[in-house]
Amino acid sequence: MNQQEGYADDIVKGFVIWSMVWGLVAVLVGVFISFQIAFPQLNFPPYLTYGRLRPIHTNAGIFGWGIGSFMAFFIYITQRLTRTSLWSPGLAKVQLWLFNVVIALAAVTLAMGMNRSKEYAELEWPVASLVVVLWVIFAVNIVMTIVKRREEQMYISLWYILATLVGVAVLYLVNNAAIPVSLTKSYSAYAGANDANVQWWYGHNAVAMVLTTPPLAIFYYFLPKATGVPIYSHRMGVVAFWSLIFMYLWTGAHHLLWTPVPDWVQTLAMGFSVMLIAPSWAAVFNGYFSMNGQWHQMRENYLVKFLIFGITFYGMQTLQGPSQAVRTFSAFIHYTDWVPGHVHMGTLGWVSLVLFAAIYYTVPRLYHTEVYSVPLANVHFWLVLTGQLIFSITMWIAGVQQAAMLNATNPDGSLHYSFIETMVELYPYWHMRALGGVIYLAGLLVFLYNIYQTIAGGKAQAAAQRA
Amino acid sequence: MDSASIYYLGVTLLLFLVFAAIVARTYSRKQKAKGEQPKYRMMDDDYPSDEKKGGRDVRRK
Repeated sequence: MNQQEGYADDIVKGFVIWSMVWGLVAVLVGVFISFQIAFPQLNFPPYLTYGRLRPIHTNAGIFGWGIGSFMAFFIYITQRLTRTSLWSPGLAKVQLWLFNVVIALAAVTLAMGMNRSKEYAELEWPVASLVVVLWVIFAVNIVMTIVKRREEQMYISLWYILATLVGVAVLYLVNNAAIPVSLTKSYSAYAGANDANVQWWYGHNAVAMVLTTPPLAIFYYFLPKATGVPIYSHRMGVVAFWSLIFMYLWTGAHHLLWTPVPDWVQTLAMGFSVMLIAPSWAAVFNGYFSMNGQWHQMRENYLVKFLIFGITFYGMQTLQGPSQAVRTFSAFIHYTDWVPGHVHMGTLGWVSLVLFAAIYYTVPRLYHTEVYSVPLANVHFWLVLTGQLIFSITMWIAGVQQAAMLNATNPDGSLHYSFIETMVELYPYWHMRALGGVIYLAGLLVFLYNIYQTIAGGKAQAAAQRA
Repeated sequence: MDSASIYYLGVTLLLFLVFAAIVARTYSRKQKAKGEQPKYRMMDDDYPSDEKKGGRDVRRK
């Protein structure tokens, strides 16, 4: 425990450091598989193939980097917003160990080919069971801290934190229901279209409860902290929160437009997806309006740059997403490279930019020092922004071209291009994507170096004070 | 309309009413000051409360 401030912050340090480790793994693997697509000879069966490495990339990114950081900042934020120390620092230490064991096991089992073939729910039942234990430990600690809080009202971030804890638990338990046939193999408890429906109810709400509510909790906390000005409207935040919660869980089936899933389910998902623009943009406006009179900080305060660009990408993401959920547009771009362009604007542009800001804000405070280099933080910002934009824009253009080719027909109604012809045309875009990934990786390395030096500087100062 | 459809409709209406009640309460004039209070209080949370005991804030009383 950090005795000086009374908050259990050592555990936050652990989660921050390990999330950065897994984040580096995710980006390294991501860049490698982008090269594998551009240069297929880089596939080395059986372990180093795209099929084995792609789920390692997504699991390390979403669960290692994402969830690891969220655990750090949920513990950090909850203590401060409740003005209470963590309910059980010991339990949090167990959580940190178990978290790393789970992510390592995930990487090993996926590399060995143990995979449930459900996107974002690939882990076989023994590892998935450990995830459940991990989440229960985490949830109990946070909820108990909130229960014994010393603040009457709960700031909006706490609502998003609670929604995450409940939402992930429900989604994970339902979609991972399976019948084990051995230690390494299980079959889904659902079949056919029902299985697909449950999977994408889970899959899209993983976007909601892992890639939306936690970053929003972090954004709502760190934007006012970084600017020194309160959020524009807490009440608008509360209404946006509840409308998002009421709407999000209905949207999963927009991943299954034009499939055997009942038509009314698809229409329902489409309708709710479009309605989601309202709560999403309420958060965006809340962020923008909070900057009234403070826009000069975009030049002067590097943290603000990360946060405002982050919420801007969230806004773009939540316009693009509902558009893709509309049947006609989905018919055009679904199953093309447009989709990874969309996903990476969310993960690299929205989630990661907000997390970078949160780490830059907290690490110097946790180690009682200043950030090592603001110019390096600015270099980091521009590199990751450039890399992400190259990635996303390239994939959107590739997706439109691919969709146009897939839909092109001859006068007699037959397809004009074969599938392989569409693939061949995409090679230039895949080269550009790999380049974007390399630039993003360079930015990430600058970030890691900056944080490493900040921590080292903090430790050196602490040692000097003790001497 | 079968019973299942009526049930779904009822749940939908109930959820809508709950949401409408949340919006109405949040934006009621009575709640305005209280509803915006957390955004100011969170600006100064660097230290835990001085209260020695846990439990909910005694200021509620």
